[in-house]
Amino acid sequence: MKISLEWLKDYLDPGLPLPQLIARLTMIGLVVETWEEKNGDVVLDVETYANRPDTLGHLGMAREMAAMLGLPLKEPAAALAELQEKSSDLVDVQIWDEDLCPRYCGLVVKDIQAGPSPAWLLKRIEAMGLNPVNNVVDVSNHVLFATAHPIHAFDLDKLAGRKVIIRRAKKGERLLALDGSDISLEPDMLVIADEARPVALAGIIGGQETAVSDTTRQVFIESAFFNPVSVRKTSKALGLQTDASYRFEREADISFPPQAARLAASLLTSFGGKTAQGMVDIYPKPRKSRELMLRQRRVSDLLGVEISADFIQNVLSSLGFELRAEPKESWLVKVPFFRVDIEREADLIEDVARFYGYDRIPAVLPPLKVIEHFPQEESKAEHSRQVFLQQGFDEALNTSFADPERQALFQIPRRPVEIRNPISAKASQLRTTLAGGLLENVAWNLNRGQEGVHLFEIGNIYDRNEESLREHLALGLVAGGRKGEVHWQKKQEEAGFFQVKGAVEALLTHLRYEPFRFQAKEHPLFESRSSLALMHKGARIGCLGQIHPRVLAAYDLKKAVAYGELDLETLFEKKPKPFQFSALARFPGVVRDLSFLVKAEVSFQDIKDELDKLSLPYLESCQLVDRFSGSSIPQGQVSLTFRFLFRNPNATLQTGEVDKLQQRIIAHLHSALRMEVREGGQGN
Amino acid sequence: MPLSPRDALQAEIEELRRKLEEACLRVKDAKSLQELRNLYLSRKKGALPRLLEGLAALPSQDRPAAGELINSLKNEVENRLQDLQAGLQKKEAKGPEVDWTLPGFQQPAGSPHPVLIFQRQIESIFLSMGFSIEVGPEIETDYYNFEALNFPPHHPARDDWDTIYLANDLLLRTHTSPVQIRVMEKQKPPIRMINPGKVFRKETPDPTHLPMFFQVEGLEVDEGITFAHLKGTLEYFLRRLFGEKLKTRFRPSFFPFTEPSAEVDIECLVCRGKEASCRVCGGTGWKEILGAGMVDPQVLKNVNIDPERYSGWAFGLGVERAAMFAYQIPDIRQFYENDLRFIRQFRLK
Repeated sequence: MKISLEWLKDYLDPGLPLPQLIARLTMIGLVVETWEEKNGDVVLDVETYANRPDTLGHLGMAREMAAMLGLPLKEPAAALAELQEKSSDLVDVQIWDEDLCPRYCGLVVKDIQAGPSPAWLLKRIEAMGLNPVNNVVDVSNHVLFATAHPIHAFDLDKLAGRKVIIRRAKKGERLLALDGSDISLEPDMLVIADEARPVALAGIIGGQETAVSDTTRQVFIESAFFNPVSVRKTSKALGLQTDASYRFEREADISFPPQAARLAASLLTSFGGKTAQGMVDIYPKPRKSRELMLRQRRVSDLLGVEISADFIQNVLSSLGFELRAEPKESWLVKVPFFRVDIEREADLIEDVARFYGYDRIPAVLPPLKVIEHFPQEESKAEHSRQVFLQQGFDEALNTSFADPERQALFQIPRRPVEIRNPISAKASQLRTTLAGGLLENVAWNLNRGQEGVHLFEIGNIYDRNEESLREHLALGLVAGGRKGEVHWQKKQEEAGFFQVKGAVEALLTHLRYEPFRFQAKEHPLFESRSSLALMHKGARIGCLGQIHPRVLAAYDLKKAVAYGELDLETLFEKKPKPFQFSALARFPGVVRDLSFLVKAEVSFQDIKDELDKLSLPYLESCQLVDRFSGSSIPQGQVSLTFRFLFRNPNATLQTGEVDKLQQRIIAHLHSALRMEVREGGQGN
Repeated sequence: MPLSPRDALQAEIEELRRKLEEACLRVKDAKSLQELRNLYLSRKKGALPRLLEGLAALPSQDRPAAGELINSLKNEVENRLQDLQAGLQKKEAKGPEVDWTLPGFQQPAGSPHPVLIFQRQIESIFLSMGFSIEVGPEIETDYYNFEALNFPPHHPARDDWDTIYLANDLLLRTHTSPVQIRVMEKQKPPIRMINPGKVFRKETPDPTHLPMFFQVEGLEVDEGITFAHLKGTLEYFLRRLFGEKLKTRFRPSFFPFTEPSAEVDIECLVCRGKEASCRVCGGTGWKEILGAGMVDPQVLKNVNIDPERYSGWAFGLGVERAAMFAYQIPDIRQFYENDLRFIRQFRLK
């Protein structure tokens, strides 16, 4: 809201240097965002709040400053040169919809000499950043910026039948508005109409056909109160916001229409106009002032500081509240109509606090009581983050928005959630996978000279089914290029897939979600035959694989990228194994290495499954320690060397016992998977 | 005058010790090492067994001291021989010397995202004050996002929370305040919580705006909670986050869900209010950092908490903006490019 310090002097002279004025205003919640000097005047641009329409004019701002400075507020009298005729004889006003227009005032001013405004008015109109039009229009704007109450002036001679009817628009009606737009009206929109047609969109904009022009001789001044919700809905529906609608949708002062009309008439009178007597004022259900109880004790209890009764009374009175003392150190407070924000005792306390000064309220740390609380899910997600950070994956965060074309490309069988009012077409869905963001991050970094990108993201993905929209917590892991820094002694690793898989295994192990297993499973995001599903207790928890070339191409990625995605929500719903301490082994274990010839179609997971099935006593662990194929190995086979650790927790295992266990492994793997022990493939 | 037998022994030991030094330098391989060993330790001809034999010839009172001298030489010889042997073995096994100044191995951990680093920093301050961390859904209803928080339907106040709408009258939460409503519906006071998370606004991305960002909000509800507690807690929090001597300023503002409402400024960390043309604070010396206020009585009523008995305060802060201010990051969009050069800087923090 622009405030001219010159104009302000109609009501109050703050008598403070500008920096001090700005500082004081800030501390009552009126922040001066910018200010400029203009024609010897200073114009402040003050931030205002949606609940304080009274501050959208100089009068309201002056009232705040008067209370702040303890100065009286001048309220200039509106002088009128009056005619014998009554306004109601000159125009017939009817409200047909009292809900949308609870009050309507009108005043006729004759003998208008439309023309340029005098210098003082031009200066004020320009200070508000508006272009002067003519003295009648300028007066309307002056009233709006002086009092925050919008008014409108019609050329009375152009109102058909000299009728003013406040009604809802009829289907098919149109209005050529002052801004040149041709508005198609809907039946829920309130209009001002004459006998023949709508002539204004109530509280928003006037029509061209009844606008004041240089030839205007008599005007009808409208000063009304329109339903704020109705004005807002119409303004939103049409995408049309004006200085008037901005004020009406925040709720005008219902007591003020007569004063605003009189002020306008008075100004027009000063340019030679003559005002009809007897204002039209249709106000079928006059509202009562709101009355609130205010307890002095409550002020202190809420603010944490004792504030005197005198201070409270003085501040509220100077803001226009009427206080009547009641028993038990309380007041009955009558709220002025312009303070539409004051509805409860707490609202009054805020005003007391604002003028008392937030800086004078002490800063006190509250007493610390222990509140029982047992967090669950959050700690699992946090634990997961730590695992991936330890595994050398950097953390990424991407937005939840997704490009429908990219999502279609992924061919993931989840129905995306559409955004009704997207920021752009490329962000018009919610992501159904974390892959989109992470692949973009890989491309971005590779294009900027990184040789390897290993990222994870934990965040929601979204989809919908017939009934509802859903969000679930997911984990995405992506690996492209080299892992880690170049080092003089280390071979560069490019096994992205196994880094992703290893990180997933680390997560499930760290969070004690064991046993879990991987099985081959095709997935549209991945290259054929490269993808696995992660299973835990029969449920599918996630998938991983090598990103399909079709997807790589879309991101302009030249080399293989591995990706894994886990449904953390499903995983976290499952119960992990409880943590248990196990006593340290007192007896030595026996290590045996066994090398097998294995047909290529037998997977590691098959072998693991068979060993699990065998559930051999005393077998503590089994690791794959070597894998190779080549000229020394028959075609279509690989050599796998496993290291078995046997241990009896209660006794030292004898060589003979271990031999027997080893034979059972060899026999079982042979019968189940046709695995042969390689010659010389047994070792201790 | 001839030497006493004891002095003669001592002289001989000194001589052997001197010769040992010389002999050690001549050892180049296993053979010369064996020769040296024989020279000193061989049972038949070795110098040390010979000396031990000679002990018997000494007067009995001199024997213990002389034995000690011989033994100390023997230990010395054995140590030197061991060292020489170890040196020879290594030479045979390794070949050339190692350059021990080569770069060491590091096992680089991944870097957490700076937004979450900053968020965790904020969380840990509140955890230390006994606040719990609460989370809730990102897809919300109008009721939880607006109505329960005292936004009347069709009120212009909603314009400050530009909303992204989905199907079925659902929306993406514009703040994490709905989590406070959800917690207060279930839990009776005392309540002391923070509710961090992603929030969404219909904003076109530019250097200071994003359609998605992180917020940390907080809430305390109990008997006897005052605006002074709001000030005390937030001042303490901001000093922990930005520095012990930080100046703060509380000034009136408006939010539908708090009454009275406040905005909190901290002094400009860049110019400390000393530069009229400061690009960060615009010369005011202050930077707005968070919004706060006493929980509106209507909000408490909406969750069946009696506002006559209980009162509370709440605050909200944008994580990226606070981090931008703390580290002078020029463009908020950088947080979501996930450029490794950006992310990895913050692991040094």
